[in-house]
Amino acid sequence: MIRTRGLRKVYDGTVALDAVDLDVPSGAVYGLVGPNGAGKTTLLSILAGLRSASDGAIEVSAPPSSMSMLPDAPTWEPWLTGREVVDLSRTLSAADVPPDAVGHALSDAGLLDAADRRVGGYSRGMLQRLGLAATVVSRPSVLLLDEPASALDPSGRREVLDLVRRLRSAATVVFSSHILADVQEVSDHVGILDRGRLVFQGPVGDLLAAGSAPAVLVRVREHSGDLAAALRAHDWVTAAEPLDDRVVRVRVDDPTRAERDLIAAVAATGLPVTSITPDTPTLEDVFLEVTR
Amino acid sequence: MTLWRLEWLRLMRTKRMAALLGVYVFFGLLGPLTARYLPEIIDRFGGDITVVVPDPVPADGISQYVGNASQIALLVAIGVAAGATTLHALPEMSVFLRTRVPSASRLVGPRVVVSGAAVIGAWVVGAAVAWYETAVLLGGVPVGGILAGMAFGSVYLLFAVSATAAAGAVLGSALATAGLSLLVLIAMPLVGLIEPVGSLLPSHLVGALGDLARGGSATDYLPATAVSVVGSAVLVGLAIRTAGSREL
Repeated sequence: MIRTRGLRKVYDGTVALDAVDLDVPSGAVYGLVGPNGAGKTTLLSILAGLRSASDGAIEVSAPPSSMSMLPDAPTWEPWLTGREVVDLSRTLSAADVPPDAVGHALSDAGLLDAADRRVGGYSRGMLQRLGLAATVVSRPSVLLLDEPASALDPSGRREVLDLVRRLRSAATVVFSSHILADVQEVSDHVGILDRGRLVFQGPVGDLLAAGSAPAVLVRVREHSGDLAAALRAHDWVTAAEPLDDRVVRVRVDDPTRAERDLIAAVAATGLPVTSITPDTPTLEDVFLEVTR
Repeated sequence: MTLWRLEWLRLMRTKRMAALLGVYVFFGLLGPLTARYLPEIIDRFGGDITVVVPDPVPADGISQYVGNASQIALLVAIGVAAGATTLHALPEMSVFLRTRVPSASRLVGPRVVVSGAAVIGAWVVGAAVAWYETAVLLGGVPVGGILAGMAFGSVYLLFAVSATAAAGAVLGSALATAGLSLLVLIAMPLVGLIEPVGSLLPSHLVGALGDLARGGSATDYLPATAVSVVGSAVLVGLAIRTAGSREL
């Protein structure tokens, strides 16, 4: 469990973090999202003990020795091999972990074939995966990952996200990202930082449910404007907006009423319908709404 | 893989050990040679000018080595020490290391000890080469004086590496660290021109090997040795404290 109360960080008069009350449950994968400069890296660095807070309290239910941080662009001496990097991490953080854990960590990161190559020749994606291998080898109970999938190609991102997902329940993971789809995919809890303030935190499902009014997408062959105008006449429809000539987003005040009456209301227009689907908000939609 | 092995690999894989040994051994070979053949060299390149030089004595071979080692070889030594002891030169590597050890002393210690040992080792090997070649070309030099001189020179180099580590912790850039360290080490003999301060400064130890080869007294160097040892401890302590509190 990680908890901060009234956490504040000021750099030369500029407030980087302001009254941050973070609550990360044990075993959670907590996604910390926010635009560039929101304070994500500062918050993670303070939690890792690499920066001091200007004010506030921090409580981490794990000793510093079982906490690991992975910076957004992990770098090592280029003359070390991947195996040496991971083994160095094991020796420093958890000498009681058997040496064969190094091979397992490299294998999980998909780097076993490159393990004995010098890291100076590794690609950015390989360095990122090596960073994760070096982080998990010591079996920490708290992992702080700063933008672990940033600047990776789609396959590299997929591998990193799979690694993070596998950590669930084995450790408490806080990872920052501005790629909201990544956070939505692997996190069970999310915190939104905006200009140094934590404007929302909680389970991802709660955020998605609370962040946007219920909506349905209705697709027709043509004349979506006519459909929108017809639907607006119903008192349970709060908004009906054509997204293009074939799609209308219908917002309703009561989802049950929509489920019961929408199909009939659409059919009454006589327009040819191709589909009616719920318009599930994404984390990106909610994020934009919260940080607006 | 330990932090000690990391430093050993840094020396070996980046060829820094080879550079250190190469430069000190080169001057170890060159010093006695130039002392022995200085009259011939001057005759050959002096043209019509007649320069009268005294006949070389064995201590001249050692002094030539000390002169070169305290200038060009020191540059290389400081460069090697700065590369190793500037902990935050690679900030992401620092994050990796700092979040895995309870105290910065575990990071700074091996860097200072291993790079210091490498620099001192190269200095001693170079001095041994100069000693041997001096014996062959110019005649024998007393063993006691040579060994004491090597020891005093080693203490000076320990101070130089410690000063570099402190500068590295403050500055965070290997190049700036090397520059500041050299500035301090070059300025020190100038300050040392003021007596009686000069005989207390670490820079006083630089010439100990040459002086003792001529029969000087080892006790003249004890105050500067004490200052250097205490100064080294203070500087390493400063390096540890600064490195541990530096925000990343």
